[in-house]
Amino acid sequence: MEILETVNWALILPILIIQLVLFVVALIDLVKIEKTNGPKWLWAIIILFVNIIGPILYFVIGRRNH
Amino acid sequence: MSQWVSLFKKEMLEMARNFKWIWVPITFILLGVMDPLTTFYMPQILDAAGGLPEGTVIEIPTPAPVDVLMMSLSQFSTIGVLLIILTSMGAVAGERKSGVAELILVKPVSYGSFITTKWAAMLCLLWVSFLAGYLASWYYISVLFEQIPIVEVFISFAIYGIWLSFVLSVTIFFSSLFKSPGAAGAASLAFVIILSLVSGTLAHIFEWSPAQLMGYAEGVLRTGTLQDHSVSSIVFSVACCIVILMGSTYVFKKKELAS
Repeated sequence: MEILETVNWALILPILIIQLVLFVVALIDLVKIEKTNGPKWLWAIIILFVNIIGPILYFVIGRRNH
Repeated sequence: MSQWVSLFKKEMLEMARNFKWIWVPITFILLGVMDPLTTFYMPQILDAAGGLPEGTVIEIPTPAPVDVLMMSLSQFSTIGVLLIILTSMGAVAGERKSGVAELILVKPVSYGSFITTKWAAMLCLLWVSFLAGYLASWYYISVLFEQIPIVEVFISFAIYGIWLSFVLSVTIFFSSLFKSPGAAGAASLAFVIILSLVSGTLAHIFEWSPAQLMGYAEGVLRTGTLQDHSVSSIVFSVACCIVILMGSTYVFKKKELAS
């Protein structure tokens, strides 16, 4: 994989880290929250498997505010 | 005043508990960083994706750094605006629906401070997130491409931030007008899209329109100076924000007294 060597990790790594933060925060919130908009297990799958957009979608749509 | 401050603190606390202070800035950073990266690594991405016949030579001219920053800015103006509307559409409508608004308004809280604290708290979140995203974009561009003078970046940031604040004010207005957050969001989105379309096509008439601010932000980046009508557009937009806020307070008051 020579592509991996040409990639500047100093630029990619911060993104991976904040993406991880987003992912972890979404999961923690999903575990703590009482009720979501739609089934909880579905949101777990979305957060786990849809990269980047999954956690954001959860926060925008899945979280029931009250 | 102290009442306003404590309401404002309550809003801030609520946003922290909702994790809004984490996920909104992160989303803006990701939005800002995406375009510089994909533009820079496009040849490698095409290579890795494959599917091209052997020996294909793709010449992609390196775009000017300002062009890349404009790509990020257009991400903010589509997905960013959508995000602002989605996160703030329930600000008033949601609380009225759930009865929290009544709970707060039985205390001697003025309708004005109820609306303005919500607006101010969202405004803080918006500017911080937009700053984070814009700076991230600028940083990645200066590493991957060339550096853009920071002063111009900040001026364009301020100009474009005013347009985003205008979008927020409109959303708060519809949120106090409608009962359901969904309707408020749809109405705000429709309003923003129509405003952009109309002032985009009739640019020579609506030079002062808030929707032109993106063009003026681009102008600052490209020429380094403020363009004609920039100031009038900024002043008009700020005035609009104030009027819209007063309007939302009025609408909210009427609705509350009626129900």
